[in-house]
Amino acid sequence: MSSTSQKHKEFVAEPMGEKPVMALAGIGEVLGGKLEEKGFDKAYVVLGQFLVLKKDEELFRDWLKDTCGANAKQQRDCFGCLKEWCDAFL
Amino acid sequence: MSFVEDPACLSKSRLESDLVAHNVELPPAGSNKEAYVALHLRHVDQTNAADFSSDDDQEHNVAGEDPEGEKELDPSALTDEDLKALLFKYGVKAGPILASTRAVYEKKLRHLLQSAAEGELNEAENAVLYSDSDEEDVSEGNEDEEKESGSEGDQEKKSETLEPNQQQRKEKNAPPQKCDFSYPQCFVLSSRLRPCPPRNNEHSSKRNSKNALKSSERTRPHRSQIPAGISKVSSIAQHSGLRSGDPVKDILKDLLPDTKTSPTGIYATPRRPIKGAAQRPIQYAYPDTPVSPTIVERQDVARRLVPVYVQVLVFFALVCILLLIFVNVENTNSVVALLENVNQGPDGEEGIPVLDEAAGGDL
Repeated sequence: MSSTSQKHKEFVAEPMGEKPVMALAGIGEVLGGKLEEKGFDKAYVVLGQFLVLKKDEELFRDWLKDTCGANAKQQRDCFGCLKEWCDAFL
Repeated sequence: MSFVEDPACLSKSRLESDLVAHNVELPPAGSNKEAYVALHLRHVDQTNAADFSSDDDQEHNVAGEDPEGEKELDPSALTDEDLKALLFKYGVKAGPILASTRAVYEKKLRHLLQSAAEGELNEAENAVLYSDSDEEDVSEGNEDEEKESGSEGDQEKKSETLEPNQQQRKEKNAPPQKCDFSYPQCFVLSSRLRPCPPRNNEHSSKRNSKNALKSSERTRPHRSQIPAGISKVSSIAQHSGLRSGDPVKDILKDLLPDTKTSPTGIYATPRRPIKGAAQRPIQYAYPDTPVSPTIVERQDVARRLVPVYVQVLVFFALVCILLLIFVNVENTNSVVALLENVNQGPDGEEGIPVLDEAAGGDL
């Protein structure tokens, strides 16, 4: 089982509220900036996209790659973070 | 209302892929996006226009048309509903096709179309290779054999082509019937559910080594699809327990006469509990245990504690001796008077002036 990062643990620990998109695990400044350009300025907007894609891993990872150019690890981290958040709060 | 995007809005790479999908020659490498847009407008939009009109007598500028020609191969040209329907056909349950999700679903459809096209190519190749008599049955059967080793496969398709393969398998299984031990661990989720007559268990030996799943069918003479792999494993385990349990039982009974029979054929003897572990305190069954150095030290110290009283007595004795010596050395009236004074207490008032004179005289 891979270990989760501190960012992941912090994100999953509480409702995301108005957290910025850079609070997501795997999304740093660069990727966060690209997402914001596309209109995904808050974490909940990315959550919306995640849910619209029916929480499908492959589709979400593809979307993330196409939208902000995330690499495999970043995709995996972001997906895992959102999935776990949904399991806990949704 | 058209769902097709304006080519000018698409990116250059997207235009390129669209042109490739329509088998249109790409403009030279260093050309502008406008060239792509122009080509796109000319070729792709023509086909889109043709889509919305009747399907017959379409004017295609495309050089090599798809021989099947049953559906549009360009996912970007499809409507949302068509895209969703196509994805569903390939077994993908798509969510809402929105502006943000459309790109992802198109990409997925392209992947599926490519893999489907490759699958058809493989089948065609195999048909050429294995074309003996009875082309279709044998070729399909051989394809299925090849595919079975790799993938789980569609059970419905393969159940139809079981007949020719049954004979092949029976030939393979007939000769080797040596080992009676099965391997319940290595089962393959195969669709080869064949009706095997519930005969003796000897025939199951080699089959289990190849495909342990088949052993479960001896109890199910009719073809039935077992949905869960867990039920297969449990049935296999039962059979393995019955068959391989007998020789094991005899050995174990010799060694450990107390073993209880278990239905799975798995025998386990409990291990001796770890001493000192949680909730298993050490039981001191041996009172004459060897003593550790720390305990020896403590005993030594304890021994030293005993003569403390002796030390105290010695101390007091020394004090008395010193006092006697002091008295003897001094040997003055003052000291004697002091002692008498102490003895007499308040009655001896006269002794005091005598004492004073004596003390003053001495000093």
